[in-house]
Amino acid sequence: MCKIQNRFLFSIFYFAVLIPPSLRDRRRYLVFEWISERVIDKWTLLSEIRDSIFSLYGDVGASESKIRLIEYANAEDTDGGMGILRCAHDKVEEVRAALACIHSANEARLSIRVIGISGTIKGATRLLR
Amino acid sequence: MSKFFDLNVHAYPETEVPAEELLRAAKRYGYTGIAITNHDDTVGSELKSNFCFSGIEIRANSVENLKRRIKLYHGKVAVLAVHGGNDKINRAALEDHRVDVLAHPSGEKRGGALNHVLAKLAAKNGVAIEFNLNAIINSRKGERARVLLKMRSHLKLVRKYKAPMILTSNACSIYDLRAPREMIALASLFGMEREEATSALSDFPQGILEKRWKKENDVVVLKNVNLESPRKSV
Repeated sequence: MCKIQNRFLFSIFYFAVLIPPSLRDRRRYLVFEWISERVIDKWTLLSEIRDSIFSLYGDVGASESKIRLIEYANAEDTDGGMGILRCAHDKVEEVRAALACIHSANEARLSIRVIGISGTIKGATRLLR
Repeated sequence: MSKFFDLNVHAYPETEVPAEELLRAAKRYGYTGIAITNHDDTVGSELKSNFCFSGIEIRANSVENLKRRIKLYHGKVAVLAVHGGNDKINRAALEDHRVDVLAHPSGEKRGGALNHVLAKLAAKNGVAIEFNLNAIINSRKGERARVLLKMRSHLKLVRKYKAPMILTSNACSIYDLRAPREMIALASLFGMEREEATSALSDFPQGILEKRWKKENDVVVLKNVNLESPRKSV
């Protein structure tokens, strides 16, 4: 029993690691900054981004855009901050429009702007600084 | 790189935000200049700054009233906009060559619409049709679907008759402003091409400030509107 389970786990691991580079998803990392009236925490921000994408493009569009919040950094002095959002490489403009559609979170006004786009996390982190 | 302008921004005293703050935010976003177009019933923003153009948005309830006020403000402001929404007001504004911009022709919420006759008039008289992106940002679901539908049909008419068009944020606070690239992405939601959106943010507003589509004899270009090194206007 134990052996079978191990083999099962092993197969998942095997698949996740050895997916050939040509079959990997092509991604873009959007570096964005936001300004807001109050401090917005990570989960509120993420759920606001998700809501915006769902309401603008529906479930199909949201699944195609493959968004994920990679980095979240609150600014020390102001009620804003910066972050990195991952999305599919051909959905950048769609995600940008969805980010622009966000107008409030937790009844605090909020506005998001994309600063830069990169193909790697490393490049995006460089933009973040 | 093109110069971007946002020609419909509302500042103090109509809203609580001073014009300086809006200008600072807009410049950080990459705009060359903004035009403060407060509604004329709450008028009175005078900002002594470069890059900030004076404007007015006339909110009239009847055609006579509108004509009287156009006469009053013509030649005194860099951008003369008319608060659209009512079919009669829209028509009167587009028939008047002294008007620069017809702001949100389909109303802020609901109301009038453009048709082929009005689009032709806009092209003839050089009145720019405004696409108010704030309506997309601040509405959801059915409301937004209707706004997008209207904008799509307006875009079709504007393309057909080659009327000037501009994209504006209609911002009342710094949180309503969006950067030019974001505005272009939002415009793509109702089918505007990238090049069209870029010129609607840079070329057309510049043309409005220079009164490019007006006939020689009815042009009153303000002497102090200088796009190369914008100085104080009014």
